[in-house]
Formats: sequence, structure tokens, C-alpha cells
Amino acid sequence: MLHYDVFVNSLADLPEGQEVRLAIRDLAPGTHKYCYSNVTALVSPDAQKYEYGLLVRFGRGQIHPAPYSIKILQQVERIPERWR
Amino acid sequence: MTLVFKDNREFMKALAAAGELVTIEQEVDWDLEAGAIVRKVCEEKGPSPLMNKIKDYPGHRYLGAPIATYRKLAITMGMDPDSSIPQIAAEYVKRTNQQPIKPVLVDKKQAPCKENIITGKDVDLFSLPAPMVHDGDGGRYLSTWHFVTTKDPDNGDVNWGMYRQMCYDSKTMTGPLLPFSDGGKVFHGKYRPRGLAMPFATVIGPDPLSAIAACAPSPIPEPEYTGMLMGKPVELVKCETVDLEVPAHAEIVIEGEILPDVFLEEAPFGEYTGYRTSPRDLRTVYRVKAITYRNDPITTISNMGVPTDEGQLLRSFSLCLEMDTLLRSQGIPITGAFMWPESTHHLVVIGVKTIYSNIAAQIAQLVFGSKLGPWFHMVVVVDDQTDIYNYNEVIHALTTKCHPKKGIHIYEGAGTPLYPFLNFEERLKMAGPKVLFDCTFPIDWDPLSEVPRLVSFKTVYPQEIQEKVLANWEKYGFKAR
Repeated sequence: MLHYDVFVNSLADLPEGQEVRLAIRDLAPGTHKYCYSNVTALVSPDAQKYEYGLLVRFGRGQIHPAPYSIKILQQVERIPERWR
Repeated sequence: MTLVFKDNREFMKALAAAGELVTIEQEVDWDLEAGAIVRKVCEEKGPSPLMNKIKDYPGHRYLGAPIATYRKLAITMGMDPDSSIPQIAAEYVKRTNQQPIKPVLVDKKQAPCKENIITGKDVDLFSLPAPMVHDGDGGRYLSTWHFVTTKDPDNGDVNWGMYRQMCYDSKTMTGPLLPFSDGGKVFHGKYRPRGLAMPFATVIGPDPLSAIAACAPSPIPEPEYTGMLMGKPVELVKCETVDLEVPAHAEIVIEGEILPDVFLEEAPFGEYTGYRTSPRDLRTVYRVKAITYRNDPITTISNMGVPTDEGQLLRSFSLCLEMDTLLRSQGIPITGAFMWPESTHHLVVIGVKTIYSNIAAQIAQLVFGSKLGPWFHMVVVVDDQTDIYNYNEVIHALTTKCHPKKGIHIYEGAGTPLYPFLNFEERLKMAGPKVLFDCTFPIDWDPLSEVPRLVSFKTVYPQEIQEKVLANWEKYGFKAR
């Protein structure tokens, strides 16, 4: 099952096993589908390696045929406190 | 007395009366299905769909492709739906050459857009049915047929501009506020250098003439321009959390601030060029403070893609009329200016009396150098014998009068990241190469020995022969014309 998706310029943006910062979209059905969250995470081209399925899209929306998996380490807030 | 619609609900009745509205009662999914319906309507130039039941969003409705054809534009103007393009243009020019009409402020109790007010922690953009317009878009675009109002911090000038907005999270939208747009100039030129957030209000489902005004590149403030189009003042009401006013009869209003120093991902998006072109990038951040809306609100959807959508039609319409005004103000003896919406407002045809040499170059330099310049890159100048609205005549002039070496001129200029023909680096730099096709014969050619003679029914037969043939047309066995 695909839980999130992410847009990348190339697969090099998703190094396996390295902590990366990503803006991912929630794919859960319902009113908040496609809501973004910013996270630090581990990703893998092995779709079974981590807990959640990750759909990979390229810069013009094209889908990478092989899903990844993702482990979310931490939520990241990118809007400074003074604007929240 | 001009027929004026105070809101989209009145406008939809007129669309229905003209056979230009289809009401869909079965449930429609906001996730691609609604977008696909609107896209199909745009490509078939069909009636506008009113979708009364949206999955996950009881009580909300959609109106798609509200003004994506000239018939609907005529209805918007209160005209006969079968009015010709020149007739619509003439009426538009007549109205917009009157004195500006200032808006009037109405009390909150008289403003349907205040029927529901949500502020503070209760604000959730995802409580609104932002559609996933195209598969592969970077997010759900709530703002596709709308406008964003802002104010100049120094002189108080108000701007309404149609800048797309994507829902990022519950309180954040992102979108490109390009620096050459009117809103972009104020944000990037005044608020950002001072470290100030720019208050904004996004108006979704404005009355149709306010929406047209927001698309128009006129120097007249849009609230007053709307009044000129309406022939009476547009009614505005104060916002809840920012010092701005919005049309009282709008469907949904989103208030907040554009942050001066934070940029988040936006795009890709299916764009007016008919492609998904502009790079996904860090773009302007709209932080939301309040949402107000009418009961049973109607979210308007324009679906950008291959022609024809609202942006293509109305930008083409208003851009060329602004060029017409500009060129006449400079004393250029033009016969008119026209853009086919199918050119995605990239190509303008300008007719002119060729009374001196290089007049086509002068026209190109004026329009490319104006504030309109970043939105198009091709100018075709034809003489006054060519009907600028007649596709066949223009193509004929282009392919027969434009000298491939002497008649095509290349210029540098400002562009947008949305041009599909630019490479990636050029898009990021907003490069804007431009081209003039001069389709006029040189005036120093001898009219008897050098200027080719146009061979057409109207030009190579004596008047009496033409009249005889036309009078006998049906007797010959042809159908009446």
C-alpha cells in the first residue's frame, strides 16, 4: 500500500539508508489527501524495507514505476514561529 | 440597462437559459473526476458543469469552465450569446473607456460571503473541496478561477490578480507570484525588502465581471475596472482579519498573509500553455488566518490545458485590447489587434495601414516593451487588407508576405517559466525571446510592377461581375449563404 508520495528531480535525491529531508504528501483517502508534511526520513528502493509505501514522482508529475518505502524519523516545521 | 450578474448564482441562471449549463446531481469525486469533467468540457467548448454533490464535502458545489467560450463571455457581458468576437470586443472597449467607477462598501450583514466565518485554530484549508485538477499535479489547487487581492503599502493601490494557489497544509498555500505581475511587483519590491508580510485575500467564485477584471492587464485598479464593466459600483465588504475588501457576493474568501522570507514547494501544474512546464520550485507562501463562505458554496474550477480554458480566452481577449489601446495612444494607424485563444495568448495579430517603412518593427517594439510583454512572444503584423479575425486570411498573409530573411525579427525580452519551448535554465531565468513576423509588403515597392496582386473573388473581378454572380448564386445550384 502506498501511504505517501514525493516529488524528486532524480532518484539521486533518494539515497538509500541516509537521512534525508523531504516534503511528502499524505495519500490516505479522505479530506486531507495530498496534504504536505515536511519530515526527515530514511528511504529505500526496496518497497518492503520500511513501514510505509512511498510513491515517487518526477518533476512533471511522472510516476516512477517502482515504489519505494519510507521510515519517518521526525516531523520538521519550516514555517518560523513568528508566522505561525 | 446592461444585464449585470451580482454573483455566479445569477450568472448560472443565464447560462442555463442559453443552454450553456449542465447540472450534475450524481456524486463527483474531487480527486481527478471533477477536473476530468471540466477538461473535457474545455476541449469540446461545451456547457459549464454545475456539480451539486462532491465526495467528502457535503454542502459544497463546483462550477466548472464558467467563461471558457466566447458565447459564455457574451452572456457574462449581458449580450446575445451569438454575438461575434468583434461585437464583444467593441462592447468591452466601450465600457472600459468610460470613467472608472469606484466600488461601494456594504455592511457585513448585506454580504453573503460572511454567512460562515472561520478564524484562528479552526481554519483548515482541507475543509474546502480543493480539486486535484490533473493527475500528477503537485497538489490540490483551490485557486484556479478566483483572484488574490492585495494592497500597496505606500499608496494604498489595490490589485486583483489571478495567481494560482496550491493547498500545502491546513493553513498554508503556495504559488508563483511572479515578480513582473502587478501583485508580484508590490510583494517583491516593497514588502519583502522591508521584511513585512503582505496581507492578502483570495476570492473564489467572484461574480463573472470581477473575475474578468482580475484577468485584465489594465492600469486601472480592478475594483474600478469591474465597475466600468458592470456600469455600476461593485459591492465590497471588509475582510475579517486583514485590511482589505472583497466582493460581498463572492462564494469563498480566504484571508491571510504572504510571508516575506519563507518559500515552499509548489507545482508541477497543468498550465495554460497546454503543458506541465514550469519547474517545481520553492514559491510564495500564503499563510491563512480566516475563511469565510456562503451557505452551499460554489467553488469555481478552471482547468488549464490544451485550448480552450478561461485563462487562454480571457487573457487573449484583454491582452490584445490593451495592445490596441496602447498602439492607438501612440498614434499608430492600426486596424485592430487579435489573439486566438488557441495560441494560448502567445501570438497577437495586429493589422496596420502601412504608411511608412518599418512600422511593423515599431509595433513589435512597443508591445514587447510594454507591461504586457512577458505574456506573449509572437507578433504578426498584417496590412489593412487582411481581416485580423479571419484565420485563413492571416495564415495566407503569413505564408506569402513574410520574407523569411527580411521579415522575421528576433528580440530579447522578459518571459515566464511557463514557456514550453525554453530549456530548464531559461525557465528558471524567465527568459523571453520574442519574434516579429512582418507580413506587410515594403512600401517602396512599385505598386504596378513589384507589388503582387491578391487573387480573390473580391479583388480580381469587376464589381458588376461580383454582383451578378452573387445574385445568381442559388440559380446556379449552390446553397444560399
